[in-house]
Amino acid sequence: MTAPQPLVATRDLGVHFRLSRNTVLKAVDRVSFDVMPGETFGIIGESGSGKTTLGRALVCLEAPSAGQVLHQGRDPYALSRRQLRQHRRNYQVVFQDPNAALDPRMTILRSVREPLDVAATMPRAQRDEVAMQAMERVGLSPEFATRYPHELSGGQKQRVCIARVLTLRPSVIVCDEAVAALDVSIQADILNLLADLQREFGLTYIFITHNLGVVGHISDRVAVMYLGRLVEMGETEAVLARPLHPYTDALLSAEPVALPSHMRTSQRVILSGELPSPVSPPSGCRFRTRCRFAQDLCAAKEPEWSEVEPGHWAACHFAGTLPVSSSPLQGVAEVVA
Amino acid sequence: MDHAVKQPLLEVNKLSAFFRAGRGEVQVTRDVSFTMAPGEMVGLVGESGCGKTVTGLALMGLLPPASSRLEGQILLQGQDLITMAPATKRRLRGRRISMIFQEPMSALDPVFTIGHQISETLRAHQDVSRAEARNRAIEALARVGIPEPALRYDAYPHQLSGGMRQRAMIAIALVCEPQLLIADEPTTALDVTVQAQIVDVLGELCARMGMAMLFITHDLGLVSQTCSRLVTMYAGEVVEEGQVDDILLRPRHPYSSGLLRSLPALTQRKARLPAIPGRVPVRGDMPPGCRFHPRCAHAQPECTAPQPLRAVQPPGEVRCCRAKELILPGVLPVERAA
Repeated sequence: MTAPQPLVATRDLGVHFRLSRNTVLKAVDRVSFDVMPGETFGIIGESGSGKTTLGRALVCLEAPSAGQVLHQGRDPYALSRRQLRQHRRNYQVVFQDPNAALDPRMTILRSVREPLDVAATMPRAQRDEVAMQAMERVGLSPEFATRYPHELSGGQKQRVCIARVLTLRPSVIVCDEAVAALDVSIQADILNLLADLQREFGLTYIFITHNLGVVGHISDRVAVMYLGRLVEMGETEAVLARPLHPYTDALLSAEPVALPSHMRTSQRVILSGELPSPVSPPSGCRFRTRCRFAQDLCAAKEPEWSEVEPGHWAACHFAGTLPVSSSPLQGVAEVVA
Repeated sequence: MDHAVKQPLLEVNKLSAFFRAGRGEVQVTRDVSFTMAPGEMVGLVGESGCGKTVTGLALMGLLPPASSRLEGQILLQGQDLITMAPATKRRLRGRRISMIFQEPMSALDPVFTIGHQISETLRAHQDVSRAEARNRAIEALARVGIPEPALRYDAYPHQLSGGMRQRAMIAIALVCEPQLLIADEPTTALDVTVQAQIVDVLGELCARMGMAMLFITHDLGLVSQTCSRLVTMYAGEVVEEGQVDDILLRPRHPYSSGLLRSLPALTQRKARLPAIPGRVPVRGDMPPGCRFHPRCAHAQPECTAPQPLRAVQPPGEVRCCRAKELILPGVLPVERAA
């Protein structure tokens, strides 16, 4: 069987930051996964879990300290500087805060055109045309071309950021909390737009977020990060319905869902404590200090990353045997379906 | 009726806030009215810029008098806070009404220990000795779930994590056992697992102390978990008020319905999200009549006439002249909610 080539893959990827002579922060530690063409891959985690660093490493904004990032099976760091510049046009990123991402002194058209200016592969008139097309595609009328970022709302600014990455016709877009700063009604608009663009251009998304509602809605598969490691990965439905890792379970159960009291079924699991320092993570399983099922084994031995069910991976000694609850989100999915 | 018997703890009547802008004034909120019973948990929701924080600050008397002006009434057990003398209000703030904010780091003073900040509040309002204040502060820290409270008494804000800082804020707010807590997005800066802890602590303390809470948030999920009643604001006005469970199933205002429908968790996976078209009107250029009508799928010519809040059944109020005839979807599609 010839499996299709993953568009983005990591092999034991590590991104380490040296904080002082003898402390190293392993923001991303031995992470491996494949993202297939046309897929939406969600990465969930809380602040400090390393999800943003992982996202940056995927688009070559952060060099791996260990392991590899592979783009269509090739290591982008094996490319020459010049080739890399050309190569990374294919791998784009949209950040959380459109205010920080846009230069306040540039007109919207210039901001959208900028990637093309940098690439310098076409004449100026054509660049303007491509930029205008991209703006139109994300629902910004031509009159926005001469405006400045401060004249736009948050949702419109995020559209500008999306138009800007589209100009280079990337195949992969990493969305790092791309809708987190937006109000729900605007967020819905942007998520719809992203779905339309995916259909139209065959885009592959890597969606990094802490919002389970968003990730559950748009992702085909999700990975859950905790202190720099993946703790669970699988098809979105499977992870939401039958989480294998106690952390996923707690995360899902903490998500407040807008349902009337009589329709809320599951018991909430409230984690004790907070994220330990990523500089000195707990021995063995990193989640054990907050885990309600922790045993001696969990402190002694690091759990292996294993495929517990077909396509459903987890790193827990007791994966599949714990009485984890189904998430309230899954309850909603059943009610809504 | 229940309402008639029990005197409300808080009664906000036609509250409008104006900010000075250049030579003129802009109106930030208009005709905000709602009541809270003692011990009641009320959610105040709306999107950014709808005036929910301004309303919270107005209740607390924290809007700068030099650059803002209030109209209407804020009655705390019958006493009007707007006309009250500043000195009287100062005695009341922190003792009978307290407030917590989104970002605890900017609300706490970085140069004093958290224990000091709690005792200071206590000693400002009550005649207690230093030793007594210290004991009660440690008690307060324990109550909000801070481990080793006696040690943490001497910790500075920067030595605590985000969740612990928010707990310390809550300890300061609650040390005088107020009757009303205004919580303005208290968990927005926190991770979901920590948010769950904080919401839990708040709910438990309110129940134990019989304290009422006005929970200001944009998160309808959080409101449904913590509050019994919901007040929705849009463009500076209250547009709907009622029991949370009633509104989630059967919103009476098209904006509330739109907000609920656009939650991704409540739509089938990968399906199109029903977004609200258009954008929030800007201050100074409000549409006539219903401020939502330019974005509303149910707008009629009569919607451009002034819209008062009208009483509806199940008990609540809504600012929509078509509320009685419209059947709007909430968290479930209309057919399923029946």
